[in-house]
Order: sequence, then C-alpha cells, then structure tokens
Amino acid sequence: MKNIRRCDGVAKLNGSIKFLDDYKMEDMLYGYLYYAKFDHGKLKGIKYPSGYDLNEFTIVNAQDIPGKNEVPEPECDQPFMAESEVLHFGQIMLGVAHANKDKLKIFCEAIEVEYEELPAITDIDECLDDENNAFGKVLEIDHRRNIKIESHWIKTHHIYRTPHQEHVYMETQGMLAYFKPESRVMNVIGTLQCPFFVKEAVEAIMGDNISDAIVEASEGIGGGFGGKEDFPNVIAGITALLAYKSGKPVKTVLDRADDILITTKRHPSRIEIVSYTDPDSQKIKSLRIDLRLDAGAYQTLSPVVLSRSVLHASGGYSIEDSYIMGRLFRSNTPPNGAFRGFGAPQAIYAIEAHLDRVAAHLNIDPYRLRQNNVLQIGAELPSSQKIREDHLAACLEKVVEISDYQKKNEEFKLWNKTHTDKRGIGLSLGLHGGGYTGNGENMLDSEVRILITADADIAIYVANTDMGQGAYTTLAQMVSEAIDHPISKTKVINPNTGKTPNSGPTVASRTIYIVGNLLRKLALQIKADLQFSDLSAYVKANADDFPLEFRTRFLPDPDIYFDDDTYQGVGYKDFSWAACVVEIYFHADTYEVEIKKCWNVMDVGQTVNPSIAMGQAHGGIIQGLAFGLSEFFYKKGFGRKQGLTDYTMMTSSDMPEIEVEFLYKDSLLPKGLGELPMDFPAPALRNAFYHATGIFIDELPLTPERIFQAMKDRG
Amino acid sequence: MEIKFSLNGNDVIVDVPPMKRLIDVLRDDFGLSGTKEGCGEGECGACSILLNGLPVTSCIMNAVHVIDKKVETVEYLAETELGKLLIDCFDEVNAVQCGFCFPGFVVAAYHYIKEKAEADEQEIKHALSGNICRCTGYVKVIDAVMLTCQRVKERGMR
Repeated sequence: MKNIRRCDGVAKLNGSIKFLDDYKMEDMLYGYLYYAKFDHGKLKGIKYPSGYDLNEFTIVNAQDIPGKNEVPEPECDQPFMAESEVLHFGQIMLGVAHANKDKLKIFCEAIEVEYEELPAITDIDECLDDENNAFGKVLEIDHRRNIKIESHWIKTHHIYRTPHQEHVYMETQGMLAYFKPESRVMNVIGTLQCPFFVKEAVEAIMGDNISDAIVEASEGIGGGFGGKEDFPNVIAGITALLAYKSGKPVKTVLDRADDILITTKRHPSRIEIVSYTDPDSQKIKSLRIDLRLDAGAYQTLSPVVLSRSVLHASGGYSIEDSYIMGRLFRSNTPPNGAFRGFGAPQAIYAIEAHLDRVAAHLNIDPYRLRQNNVLQIGAELPSSQKIREDHLAACLEKVVEISDYQKKNEEFKLWNKTHTDKRGIGLSLGLHGGGYTGNGENMLDSEVRILITADADIAIYVANTDMGQGAYTTLAQMVSEAIDHPISKTKVINPNTGKTPNSGPTVASRTIYIVGNLLRKLALQIKADLQFSDLSAYVKANADDFPLEFRTRFLPDPDIYFDDDTYQGVGYKDFSWAACVVEIYFHADTYEVEIKKCWNVMDVGQTVNPSIAMGQAHGGIIQGLAFGLSEFFYKKGFGRKQGLTDYTMMTSSDMPEIEVEFLYKDSLLPKGLGELPMDFPAPALRNAFYHATGIFIDELPLTPERIFQAMKDRG
Repeated sequence: MEIKFSLNGNDVIVDVPPMKRLIDVLRDDFGLSGTKEGCGEGECGACSILLNGLPVTSCIMNAVHVIDKKVETVEYLAETELGKLLIDCFDEVNAVQCGFCFPGFVVAAYHYIKEKAEADEQEIKHALSGNICRCTGYVKVIDAVMLTCQRVKERGMR
C-alpha cells in the first residue's frame, strides 16, 4: 500500500528501454504479412511482380506449414494462412521476408491475387439482425421463476448496439523469431500478453520440425488492452515459419495501417432487452436478454468473450426472474478478440442504457431506480451466485455525493428550459468479475516461482507481462512487502517460457488478483518457514543454502462450483464494483457532446500501489468515454478506418476532468482492477445525453452525425 | 545524398536517399531508438524531436529537411538539466505506463517548459495535444508537467 515508483519509469522516459522494433540481430530479415484486400472469395492464384529475383525473398503460404494450419484458441477454427478460401478482409495469405524493409514493402504491394468474389457480410447490423448468421454454441442462463406478469407492470423493450473498438496500443504488433538448428529450438521475442499462448501457437504451426519453442517478452511492451492476447499467436506463428524456412532471424513489425486493418477489435454487439417493472415498488421484476456479438469470420476466443458478456448482462441488479441468451454471429470481417472488459462493456452498456429507459417510463429519477434495484447482500445473480457484499450500493451513494448529482440533476433541468445548448448528468453502475470465468482459474492451474540468491536478491518468475499496467512493479512490491525486504532487491524477471513457470495469461484483470496473491502467499510462507526477520542477515548466516527456490500453485476453492453446461454456480469468486457519473455540455449548433467531468467510484479491494492503481483508472475511463463518444471502426456508409488520422481518440485537449475514488482500499484482498474502469463511462455518458436533451440514443458512439440524425428523426 | 546537420550537439554527415524519413535516419543510421514510430502519419507524436528547437514529428520529415539544421532527440534532451528534472517528475507521479509514447511527451514537455514554464493546465494540455497516449488518460502526464514547472521556478532554473 505504498506509492513507490515504477521499476521501468526512467528507462521508458529517456527512450532506453527496448521495444520490439528496437531489437536487431545479425543477418536479420524483415517479415511482412501479406493479406487479402477483399471480403470473401475463392483463391485462384497469386502472381508475384516481375523484375524481382524471387530467390532473394522467403515466401511461405499455407502449404509450407509443417504442423497444423490452425491457430490454437478456445475454438480452433482460424487458419494461420488462408488455403483455398478467404473469409475476411485482412486474412493473411502469405508470409514474406527480405533483408531490405523498403524493397519488401514495394514487392508486396505489387503482388496480385486472382480470386472469385463471393457474397460477404461486412455491416454490423446486417450481421447481427439476421439470425441465420448465428454460429457456435448458444449460451443460456436460465433464472426463470414462473412469476406472473401483472397487467399494470411496465414493459420496456429496446435494442442497444455498440460498434467495433480498436485497441490502439501505441506500439504496433511485432515478433522476432530465430531458429537454432543444433538444438532445433525456435526462439521468439515479442510484444505480447501471453507468452505460453504464443509458445503453443509456434509449436502448432511448426509441428515436429522443432523440439521446443521458447517465447520471451520484449523488454518494453507498448500497450496491450487485450489486443496482444490473441493476434500475437498469428504473427508469431508465421514469423517463426519464415525464420525456419530462411534460416535467418526474422522480425515482423506491423505498420499502423496494417495493424488497424487486420488485427482484432472489440466485438460489436446487439443486445435486446425486455423488462417488466412494478411501478409501485419500482422493482424490476422480470428480465429477458437476447445478446448477440459479431465474432467476425472465425470464432477463435469469442465463445469466452460471450461467456463473460452473458454473466455480466443483468449488471448490478437483483432481478427475481431472468433469462439471458447469448449467441455469436458470423461476418466477413477480421475475427474480433479480447479487449479490456472482454464482453462486459457491451453488456453493461445495454443494461445501464435500459435502466434509464425504464426510469423514464416510470417517470422517476434514474438514481432512485438504481437504489431500489441494486445488488444487496444475499441477492442472487441470474447464475444463482449469491452476493456477499453490499459494496456496490456504497459506490453508488458515494459517486452521487461527490458529483453533487442530485443538485445538478435539478439545476440542469431548469437551465435547459431557457437555453438552446443543453447540460446533462448521467449515472451508471455495475460489477466486473476478476480472473477467468467459472472453472477457468482451476484449469489454468497457475504456478509461480521465487528464487532467493546468495546475495539476498529476490527474483520473481511469472509469465505475466508488463504492458504498461505496472505489473513488474506491483508484483515485486507485493513480495517485497510480504517478505519485508527492500524493493531495490526484489525484481520480476522478464517473462520467458524457458525459465518462468506458467502463471497463466496477462488477461482478465487477474495479474494482481490471482498471480499477485499467489506470490504474496508464497512470500509469507517463505518468511514463516525460514523464520527470519531480516532476509539479508539470514542469507548471510546461511550462505551455503542459497540460491534457494520456492514454488506454489493456484489452489482451487472447494466451495466454488460453476456448471459450464447450465451456467449456474459461481461465475466469479470476487467481483469488483463501480458507480460512475458523467456530466456533459451539448453544443446545439455543432451537435457536439462536450464531456465536462467523469466521476468513478470503485471497489477494487486493496490498492497495492495507489498511484499505479489511479493511473489504471484514468486510462480505463478515457477509453470508456471514447467508446461512448467517438470511436468506431467500420460501418456501412462510413467505410473502414485507415489509421490514427481518422480513428478519433481523445487527446489531452479533449480530456474532461476526472475524479476517482477507491472504496475499501484498506481491505486485505486486492481484486481485479484493469478492466473495471472501462465498463461504466460510456453508459453514463449516454444517459447524461438523455438527461440533457430528452433523446435516447441506443447505439454508440454519440457522434455529431448520429445525434444530428436522431434529432432530425424526432423532428 | 550527403546530409549535413547538427545532431544532439554534434555536426554529422550521413549518406542516405534524400527522401529517407527522418525517423529512419535517426533509428537506423544513428541507432537513436528512443524516437518511436507510433503511426507513421504525423498523428501520434511518439516520434517527436526538436528541429531548431521546435517539436516536429520525424515520421513525416525527410532527410533533406534537416540539412544545416539542428536536431535534438530524447536521448540528448534526457541528459540536460531540465530533461533530468522533467524525467524525475514524470517518474515521481508514476505518469508512465507502457511508455512507448513517452519519449515524445518528454520532447513536447521539454519544449513547453523551455519556452513557457508556466504551470497553466490549459496551456499544458494544448502543448501536449499533438501527442497521443492510450494508457494514462493524460491526467498524470499533466500533473508531471505542472510539477516540473513548479520545481523549475523553485530552483530558479529560468
């Protein structure tokens, strides 16, 4: 619980830390992923440009794959490279390598593909409105309780939509691979979140041609946000294959335009909600949700995103009777993947937007409706999981207090009567489950390792990478504080599958919550077993015993059970909670929403390093606000975004004021933090817009064009 | 083509195609990898350098643009008295997350403080608006620049 400085801060500021593109090897080639520029078609042939000596280039396609042409994912339906058919724009057809970066680019731009075009679905609405596009396993959470719908109950029925969102990690995707023929080991260095996923992918594509794949994280990882969970598998696999075929190190770094066009995005959603509310008690009595996600051309990890999405679909409310159905839909767009929140932001957006619809129907304040329905101790989620803490209600009360919500709510209504511009304030709340869903953490079976050297240095070996969230600092801090040893002598070793045990992927807000707590437990155990008060003195006195190694594994809680078929049980052992308020100013002449301020009150349990935790909250909030305000990737009539020029993110001059408060930060358990702040700003923003203008916009983002259209439609 | 310019305080000559991007000259020919490519279209500011004392994005500059001019990169600025203070302040408030865009922020903030050194939040936001960061929400970045301005004043560095 201390604000120590990051271990990598100075090296990142003066530019000395190595990101992937800063790695160089002797004789190194540059790799390129050659991808389809059409949406759907049968491949007829590929023509290389004339005037080049093809022997200078290393080229691989699906036929060159010695192992499996199948990217390892929860659903292994995506090939590394297309065989006879291309199912989406951006699908990779070839890997190409050359010693000269510029020559490689010019050559690849001149490659011609012959194909027979087939019908394609590229529009989100076209994909999600047609049930024939559903594919994969249907997920159902059935909490129907046979209640009688009273005739005076208020029925509210609407459809909520969210678009693609691009991660825009500032460092684009990249991998460096080199093969050692004597040991037959394929070595890979990459900007990635999940070293062991990449290892599996490289082993899948290379098959028996290699004895092992050793995957190492680059020193610096320039942001991830989920984007470096799954796509690194693809780029690592093909880069490894190029290194194997050429016999030389190959480095593939995507330029921004390619990265935006071909990598994963947040799943677009269409979420239809029907609810019945008793106007007397102001309780939502019954809820039906049809939740659809556009998975893209392949399922890949979408079933897991869908799983988290349905488990968060009823938000932070206690509703007696509910039924939630989740389905994936197929389109001819790149597979969508992991993105901070992992299905929860879409689900939370829909239920929070719906709550304000219900409040308007009942003609009551949205705050009052939330107070009446918020999860209390003993309440049941649709999965029948029982709630054990009332921290969400506390978050709600706190955020209403610090934002002065009630006063502004009344003031703005009056102000709006006499002004063309409008002011508004909106609320949202909810929960985010920490760690893998259901039995996921049991299956991951994470292991961590601590090594104490003869110089009393503590080396921490975990597979979790620091993509900016501060993991190397906070994990070291947890161990250093538990053992009571200086942080300067406690370090996380750069993840490398050859040295580090598999403590699982760097995803699902699990790094501090699962891995950190495992490390802390192990550190306390070491201190108790060796019975020292000062580690340095102990090591000095027992020098012959060192280095000493310690390991521990994740211990499943026998009381936690989740049924993967019925979706009943404990989806998440610990939830983090949050409530959010957004205040806006609407410029009537430009149709522009100006965000004045965002308040976010969260319970993430203990904040290990409050200053780093605050930074995570700020970053999540801006990503969440931009999800509501401006970011989308592809839409019919708008086209496909090409780069950072037309993909509109916030800059420092667009930033509203942000106020964050952590409740329960002195508790013993640090819970999930990374994703929570992403979930709530967008719905609060949308609800603020309704408060300001009396117009509900159910589809994100709230661009001036969409607002103009909504106002025109209303007349 | 021989390009003669001043790089981080030294006169240098490099033989490169005249239209070679400045970022590539710095990274490939001089090994100055602190200058980062974030977008390649002058939008994100990760490749910012000072050209005759003004911040520019080196991904949309070419080698010919720097002939007889003064180029300063993050590696050089980080070693100046102001650069060291700036970096210490950024580090103290834990402004950095992934860090990929931060060399660019150091360059932009260095220029702002050198020219202005007023702890004015609106002006700082404006001065840094050419640098995109996806991790921090800019809050701590602005805090760090405010803190630097305050320390510059306290220490009489201007």
